[in-house]
Amino acid sequence: MSWNRVAVVGAGLIKFGELFEQSYEQMASGAFDAAVASVDKGFDPSTVETAFVATQRGSLWGQEGIGGNTIPTALGLAGIACTRVENACPSGSDAFRVGAMAVASGVYDVVLVIGVEKMRDKSSDEGLLSRAASGHPIFNRGETAPVLFAPFATRHMHEYGTTREMLASVAVKNHYNGARDPFAHFQNEITIDDVLKSVPVCHPLHLLDCCPQTDGAAAMLLVNALRAREFTDDPVYVAGFGVATDHPYLHEKGSFTSLKATTLAAERAYSMAGVDPSQIDMAEVHDCFTITEILDIEDLGFFDKGKGGVASIEGETSLTGSIPVNTSGGLLAKGHPIGATGVAQLTECWWQLRGEAGERQVEMRNGYALQHNVGGRGSGVSVVNILTTHRT
Amino acid sequence: MHVLAVGAAAPAFRLPAAEVAAAWGRKGGRGQAAVCGADEDVLTLAAEAAGRAIGASGLQTDIVDGLWWGTSRPPFAEGPSHAVLAAAIGLSTKSGGALCSGSAHAGMEALLGAADAVGSGSARVALVVVSDAVVPGAGTAFEERCGAGAAAIVLVADNGPASLGARVTRTHPYLGRYRGDGEAATRDLYDARLFREEVFLPTMRDVGEQLATLDIGAWSLPDPDGRLGTTVAKQLDAGTPASSAVFTQLGDTGAAAALLGAAGALDASGTVAMIGYGGGRATGLVITAERAVPGAASVAAILADGQPTTYAATLRARNQLVPNGETVPMGVPPESAQLVRGADEILGLLGARCVDCGTINTPPSIHPHCISCGSAKFVLTPIARRGVVHTFVINHTMPAPFVAPLPLAIVDLVDGARVMLQVVGSGADLRVGTEVELVLRRYIHERGVPVYGYKARAVPNEESA
Repeated sequence: MSWNRVAVVGAGLIKFGELFEQSYEQMASGAFDAAVASVDKGFDPSTVETAFVATQRGSLWGQEGIGGNTIPTALGLAGIACTRVENACPSGSDAFRVGAMAVASGVYDVVLVIGVEKMRDKSSDEGLLSRAASGHPIFNRGETAPVLFAPFATRHMHEYGTTREMLASVAVKNHYNGARDPFAHFQNEITIDDVLKSVPVCHPLHLLDCCPQTDGAAAMLLVNALRAREFTDDPVYVAGFGVATDHPYLHEKGSFTSLKATTLAAERAYSMAGVDPSQIDMAEVHDCFTITEILDIEDLGFFDKGKGGVASIEGETSLTGSIPVNTSGGLLAKGHPIGATGVAQLTECWWQLRGEAGERQVEMRNGYALQHNVGGRGSGVSVVNILTTHRT
Repeated sequence: MHVLAVGAAAPAFRLPAAEVAAAWGRKGGRGQAAVCGADEDVLTLAAEAAGRAIGASGLQTDIVDGLWWGTSRPPFAEGPSHAVLAAAIGLSTKSGGALCSGSAHAGMEALLGAADAVGSGSARVALVVVSDAVVPGAGTAFEERCGAGAAAIVLVADNGPASLGARVTRTHPYLGRYRGDGEAATRDLYDARLFREEVFLPTMRDVGEQLATLDIGAWSLPDPDGRLGTTVAKQLDAGTPASSAVFTQLGDTGAAAALLGAAGALDASGTVAMIGYGGGRATGLVITAERAVPGAASVAAILADGQPTTYAATLRARNQLVPNGETVPMGVPPESAQLVRGADEILGLLGARCVDCGTINTPPSIHPHCISCGSAKFVLTPIARRGVVHTFVINHTMPAPFVAPLPLAIVDLVDGARVMLQVVGSGADLRVGTEVELVLRRYIHERGVPVYGYKARAVPNEESA
């Protein structure tokens, strides 16, 4: 059974990168302008009734206690209702889900979902890496972001014979796609050898197995499906979504070859959308590290458990493969401005569904695109959103 | 007063004296000294030696009535040094004892204090731990020989394989080697000749000649600079002292030296005399073994086990070489509520065993409900100290004060509990399936105080099943 009460009529983002010259507010304004400009039949910004803003770590740009009120003023919309959504790496995709529910509830007809993250105002040492000293004083000591995923690589390699070359092939493919995405942080192609020879960050992951720290913002305009044609003749609909949690500490995990939160979130999203993995035409998945994409494409049901590495190196997830994954360049090449990431992934899905992805356009046989994030302490939260061109 | 068992511990690293000499433009430099890694100190060494002594005694930790700890320099200048060590060893919260410190003589003070407590009947089982890891002033003459180590001994009133005999103390109010108020490192002697001729040798002769009237089979004598020990031995006609092997392996272990030098000699019947010196005092004590004391046979192997290290790494571990600028503070300060709530479960390695499904949840304080079945009924239990690596990483990218490489492992313990802990060493030999044991280590030194927790350490191949 489909669930088509919410339409996406506009989406846009700013060029991701190290945006030292732009403030948080300027990035947000740029993304909002891009989303407004993307609406086929025009969009009056003052029609936005409420906004949901995703920012994961305000502390990275000096706003430790950011609430909902920074964004409306930055967009010239002071006075509207606005709420911040924070749910770790899936903050952007969860803000989208919350926005969709706000429309579906009938309370609002026109909703802005915007994700903004400043990752580079603080130095690398003082920024995200400083989490090595946060959390439990003993059981998390030294746990930087790569520590949350590298143990899965070690174990996946041990159990399934996944190789560093297979991991590297994910980065090579995503950089290839990113070089064809004008919004991507990195615009260069790389080779498997480049990845293998890059410096070790967190064994067995090396530098090019890891996404960069990127500033960025992305925005989407959601409306009541009944009013979609006021804005465009090519609306995209929300087919379904799923959110799930898992234990927050690594030592509580039952498996180090699968992320349970992803598996559960996907089951819920597929069920709500009434589709199965074989009907998905392309997917934007959480590739914060190369191993993460391999886990994702297995946990989302695109490949059998243990086969993700082979599928990747054999090109099954390339633009012309059986299931193109991370056509935008993914987190590895496009970047991972945390709150903006999910919204930007959904924007890529929106473009692919509307046939607007240019050089990156893949064949949309069934009219379904899937977006996925996983993150938080112990990768304990995942969000999956499914978009479609189908109204019924 | 009888001896039930002994134990010893040495830190992970050995620093060649030549490296220190070269750094200061001196030629030569003989031998080596045992030095702590950044995650070791007097408390972690003490805990390891105590664990071995108690293990050798066959006793359960909860029947120990008191802990007497002697160290020149406790890890908290003012603070819960004794309480943290007692908790880490697993002693009862009702246990007593004393912390003796302030000079290298503290080791003998702890030993005599415990003996007196047992003698008076106020303690039935006394645990004595002596440990030291003095921080020598950079560039001092004794830096090359300044070592680290620990020894422990379990005392009871009677029925042990060895007994404590005569004791002699001499005291002289001279300033020898010392650390000034508020100073981070121990100063050199003002005048080595003055110390040798007017302080050290006369005091040693005084004490030693008293003991030498007994039939001494083996001696443990101080050797603060690598040469004085030989002179003292000649004076007393002691031959090669039993303690010389300890000084060769570890250097001067300060408050631990006397007992550490004697512990190995208790491997067979005979009379052992030990002299501890420091802070203007010297104390001699005789131990007579009727038969081999449990734990004594393994002392030599423990001392021989160490990895070479560099002077730079040693200075960094001693906090004498520090990165410029601010380092990242721990999210949970050492004095905060989380460490008050969590102290027992962190130091005692506690888990919460689910009454309904048997899953062990660690640590208990963050698990009001079982991760497997959701039940809220638990029994607190110490978790196993051995297991195998399920998966691991080696973190190479962290801000100061972290030092790379930092291995972290998910460990499946033999009782079924699963923990994630840092791993001792570089991780170069770490594999899925590596057998590990959990050992107390200093995780952090912040706001002037240490924070302790357990790390996984690979079990040497010959020990693994």
